Amino acid sequence: MSPEIKGLIIGALFGAALYLGGLADPDKIIGTLRLKDLHALRTILLFIVTGMAGIWILDGLGLAHYDIKPTIWIPVTLGGVFLGIGFGMSGYCPGTGLACAAAGRIDALVTVLGMFLGALVYILIYPSVIVPLESFANAGKVTFTDATGIPRFVFGISLIGLGLAALTLTMREPKPDTQG
Amino acid sequence: MQDLMVKRAPLPWWAAGLLLGAIQILAVAAEKPLGVSTQFVVVDAVILHKTAPEYSISHPLISQEKYSRVGYGFWLDVGIILGALGAALATGGWKLRGLPVWAKANRQSVPVRLGIGFIAGILILFGARLAHGCTSGNFASGLSQLALSSIPFAAGLFGFGMLTAMLFYPKTPAIEPDKKGDT
Repeated sequence: MSPEIKGLIIGALFGAALYLGGLADPDKIIGTLRLKDLHALRTILLFIVTGMAGIWILDGLGLAHYDIKPTIWIPVTLGGVFLGIGFGMSGYCPGTGLACAAAGRIDALVTVLGMFLGALVYILIYPSVIVPLESFANAGKVTFTDATGIPRFVFGISLIGLGLAALTLTMREPKPDTQG
Repeated sequence: MQDLMVKRAPLPWWAAGLLLGAIQILAVAAEKPLGVSTQFVVVDAVILHKTAPEYSISHPLISQEKYSRVGYGFWLDVGIILGALGAALATGGWKLRGLPVWAKANRQSVPVRLGIGFIAGILILFGARLAHGCTSGNFASGLSQLALSSIPFAAGLFGFGMLTAMLFYPKTPAIEPDKKGDT
């Protein structure tokens, strides 16, 4: 199968699941960030735990294709902060922004346009700002196991445990207050 | 006041989480973990290669092969748009609208909402590239691969995400609870 068709199929499944699961809904995202509506939080937790367990199994079968991002401490942390601010302002991130725009949300479409401008800013300042920022405090493309020497199953089991504990703890939805 | 209530998602959390996890596993087996944000740079780069070829071929990032043409990742993003469109149409949820319920509850007008959304979009994509991945690539896929980068990234993302949401959305609207038996 050509990479184009593969991308289109996996993307379509992902887009449909983001929509059906309520992640492509800014109200569900803002509700989770405000800790008033934990549906999205619980969905994301199970998404991560299921994916992690599956990748672990694929790895055992020799079928996993990894794409580990580099841990360059300062830009990765700052990037999380910038994305977090935009996420909290709008309730969108890149994938859900595309999905929400497709579902008829005009504000998401405007956010997607902003994203293309954000990408352009990144390209324009890349040579002068990003290159020097990435030249230090770079731990490389590492996993928890690479960084600590502690075997994979310790992290795998702990993350599954933490995920299940968090799902149990958030079983009772917090009462939304209408006063604000 | 039906439009002032946050509606429940079409799927319960456990079905949505398992479905998304299964798609992640499929993606890792077929090509690589899910990620979305790189392609915004690729699209800009492809346009720059057409409009400013001299600038582009000497640029340390966009002169790279990965940024000069579209491939798997671009079609994945196109797929997201088509998949969400199909799911919204199939469930009767497709609706032209400019204001989420939380924005209405906090008295944002449509122009204010669009302005906030545009600035947020700039921050979202700039931040995602600065970190080498977005909520999908660096957080969900990162943690699923036990990547160290997901820890500082998630701390920034959720710390500042929660703080910002608190500032922009202090008033909570009514929220339709999940169906009994779903939680």
